[in-house]
Amino acid sequence: MLNPGPERHVMSTDLLDEVASVAAQKKAMQEGGCKFLPHGCRLFSIPQGWESNMIRRDKGVSTCETMLELEAAVQDAGVKVLFIPVDALMTDEDIEKICQRNGVTKTLFKEVNEA
Amino acid sequence: MKKDKVHLLDKKIKDLTAKDLEKLEKPLGTSDRPFPMWGTQRIEHNGRADLEQVLSVISDDTYPMKVYSDRPYKEVIALSYCDMPVPSMLPLFFDGLERRKPESTNRTQMMIGDPGAGKSFLGALQGRLRTDRPIEVLDCGGKNMRELLFEMVLDFGSGDALPKSIDKRLQAGTLEPLSMGLLKQLPAEAVSLDKDGHVKSVDWNWLKTAGGDEVEKSFEVLKKISKTEGLDNAGGNALGMNSQYGPLIRKFMAGEELVLDEYNKSREGTDDNLQTIWQFFIGELKECTVENPLKNKDATSGPSEFTFRREDMKAGFFITLTGNKNEDGITTRSLNKSVYSRLSPQTLPDPDIIDWQHRICQMMTGLPVSTLYTAFREQADKDPEAFGDWLMWLRETKAEVEGTPIPELQQTLLSNWKNVVNSSEKLARFYDRWAEMTDADKITANGNADLIEEVDEEYTKKEGIDFRKIKQHLEEAIPIRPRIQKEDAPRAFNTKAWDKMPKLSEPVPENVSLNFGTRLTEFLERMVYEKTAAVGKHNLYSKLQKSMQEFALRDITLQEGARSRQRSVEEDLNISAFNDRDLHKQANMARKVFCDYLRQVNPEIKATDEEIITPKAFYDTLKYVAEKDTAPKNEIFVANRDPESIYHGKPLVEAVIKDIAVYTAQNLDELDFTLDDLVGHDDFIASLALPTVGAKNLSAVWEQNIRLIEPSEPANDTAAAPDGTGVPSAGGSIPSYDESLLVAENRSDKKIATTSVQVLYKDADGERPVSIHIVRNEARNKTLVVSEKAPSKLLSAFKEAGIMHVDRNDPNAETKVEAALTELTRGMAPSINARLVDAFKYRNNINVEHLQGKAPQLAELLVDKKVDMMFPKYVIRKKSAGM
Repeated sequence: MLNPGPERHVMSTDLLDEVASVAAQKKAMQEGGCKFLPHGCRLFSIPQGWESNMIRRDKGVSTCETMLELEAAVQDAGVKVLFIPVDALMTDEDIEKICQRNGVTKTLFKEVNEA
Repeated sequence: MKKDKVHLLDKKIKDLTAKDLEKLEKPLGTSDRPFPMWGTQRIEHNGRADLEQVLSVISDDTYPMKVYSDRPYKEVIALSYCDMPVPSMLPLFFDGLERRKPESTNRTQMMIGDPGAGKSFLGALQGRLRTDRPIEVLDCGGKNMRELLFEMVLDFGSGDALPKSIDKRLQAGTLEPLSMGLLKQLPAEAVSLDKDGHVKSVDWNWLKTAGGDEVEKSFEVLKKISKTEGLDNAGGNALGMNSQYGPLIRKFMAGEELVLDEYNKSREGTDDNLQTIWQFFIGELKECTVENPLKNKDATSGPSEFTFRREDMKAGFFITLTGNKNEDGITTRSLNKSVYSRLSPQTLPDPDIIDWQHRICQMMTGLPVSTLYTAFREQADKDPEAFGDWLMWLRETKAEVEGTPIPELQQTLLSNWKNVVNSSEKLARFYDRWAEMTDADKITANGNADLIEEVDEEYTKKEGIDFRKIKQHLEEAIPIRPRIQKEDAPRAFNTKAWDKMPKLSEPVPENVSLNFGTRLTEFLERMVYEKTAAVGKHNLYSKLQKSMQEFALRDITLQEGARSRQRSVEEDLNISAFNDRDLHKQANMARKVFCDYLRQVNPEIKATDEEIITPKAFYDTLKYVAEKDTAPKNEIFVANRDPESIYHGKPLVEAVIKDIAVYTAQNLDELDFTLDDLVGHDDFIASLALPTVGAKNLSAVWEQNIRLIEPSEPANDTAAAPDGTGVPSAGGSIPSYDESLLVAENRSDKKIATTSVQVLYKDADGERPVSIHIVRNEARNKTLVVSEKAPSKLLSAFKEAGIMHVDRNDPNAETKVEAALTELTRGMAPSINARLVDAFKYRNNINVEHLQGKAPQLAELLVDKKVDMMFPKYVIRKKSAGM
């Protein structure tokens, strides 16, 4: 008979993070503002807190602190979701400009400080 | 080992095998996958045929449209249907696909149109359909077009070490003040400032290829910064200038697409030497060599020349050029005749209503529901469910491609796709009208000559309506924000202890779709006012207001007559999850509300929803409720709290309203029920929060017996008989047209009603019957319920059910009731308030001391604890326990 070890019962941390990230993304999409950017890109605001931490921790999400990082992530076909921390070196206009010149559809979450 | 993705589009066309072509070819517009298409056709009307533009489909198995794509078929389909260009641009889309075929020698497409029409979107879309790699969109505004071939660039060395070091210091706040000042000397397009005027970011990638002059200036500035920061000595922080192949050559070599945006905004005279290149790209030449004029300039290195050869053309290469239609001769110029003759630009038509509607739907749901409906109307009407499932599949597949979930609002709107089609058409017509009225060039020709004093070219530039404005309006309407209170609403606040954080009531989350229509239409109303009347354009305001009414944006009951049968945009887009037609979904929602309620009122219950009651049992209960005709006998269903019977699958119990008026009329001295038989306040309130059950109960609480107890004059009727007959009702001497009575019976053509019932309430003062007052607007499915404090777990569900519940003990109760009444009677004649008070008086005794000599308003009466019921209507549990 198979002896189910603990690993059979415990969800992996990565998977948990991924599930939490999707929940956080859904919450941001529902509650945060959405900005329609060029080429079908969308920018959602996400308040600083557990939701933004969950998205940042998701290995499938690329965190972009600078415009160089943002453009590299936008140009990476393997990256679909991008996270922009609250203290990133870029304005909303910068984000729009980068989306405009790279004709590709990405979903961006921008951390905002609501305090 | 991970295998690198093979991109067949990177292959030279001459090297593509039949197998490669088969892999690349993705048909679009076949008999079982028709694709919408806009075109000119001869249409017959009464024996006469005229040419008209129509939306039809391409469905040809032999000659379908073809997308040559490295993407899987499923992705091509989802993207081409979801991101479909607006109908009037579909012929250009079709043409673009034709020119991208491997056998096509013309590898260019030029489009001229208004700003915001979606030209660069269309160019990039065709590229996106073919590959998941980004499509470079180059803004040609003010640029030297010679640099499309060879360009002078800043060379930061491998890994962009210098920019990264500067970014790092910028972020840490350790950049020297001198360097900060120097950064501001870089071209304005490369530097963003924060609200305090400090440098926030530098667009290094733009700077690298900013153009010869800018590159040279930036090079000097960066040299100084590098030195100031001591980065010039650090290894890897190289800084130089170099000449390299420009984007045209790079894309040709890589076999990729390029969009040259705003081509006619480029620097005048700089595209003269591109003529032979265009001849090569449109297939007139087989070969063309260009020399690098930058070679050896200022000791830079780089390629000396490049030869374009037809045989080197790769399948993925394509150039889209876009241009602005309005040539002002300053920023936007007329192109050389030879450019027009070679590139044969296609001019985009002005957007039609169908185009506005298409874009509105795309922004609201993620796909152009209206265009798909128009193209497949017959099938959609025949089997709306299958059509809805297909729409959802398209959106889900697009979400899969994008790697994110579908926003909840889009999901809800897609589930209610008919509402989206209806409302988007009205919105489109309104926007079309708004665009006509704000276009200075056309107002004299389109019947708006009276606006000539108010709408000039400057106003058109600033406030003219285009697709971008719609985008901004929808962006504003999607999130839930705090709403400004009515100016005359009573307000009170605690003046003490402002140094402490405020006490907030328990949050009551709202489904984003529940009031989406209200948010959108209120925002539009505000915009119309702020952009017109608020800036002195009263005539324009008045015309736009009329258009808002004509296209039924707001949900108002017409004052001058019966309510229009036309559903408003607001009504269509305010979508409650409770309105889902699927009873299984309703049962799931009802079960959740019920279980949450049960756990809150019985804290000892720790069981999960599944342990409390199965979805099947709740579905069966709801089915029974839905099918039972309860209104004629005042029968209702309330929450069951008996664990035993709940366990046996009975979450509700049956109840009935027993009216003391009937006992009085029949001279019965004794009641056949006691206080113990009364339904509990919370159980009754909870029933209103359950989908299906709440609606059923709200149809069964209205007056049926007043005519028995009011044989004399009506309470206060001043209304004339609508039919002029003055025929009294059969039940007594009250005229059948007594508006107050009709309001009490929920039979008024104004669709507003009020009544009261009594239930059992228990608190520190003991057990006693208490009144629950109900005011309902049947047409808008909105209800005000005033009673004791309701369990907090019900509050979210109340919102979904369209119920505004007010706790009469709340210090702000009257303000809240007043706000709710304003909402319920919006658009009705002011006299409706008096009718509601009269209707209320049929059952409630307002002859109490503190109201003597006053003419209290309904809001005051509804929250007054001293106002008691005459001839109460008790909600009594039926003798048999569950259902």
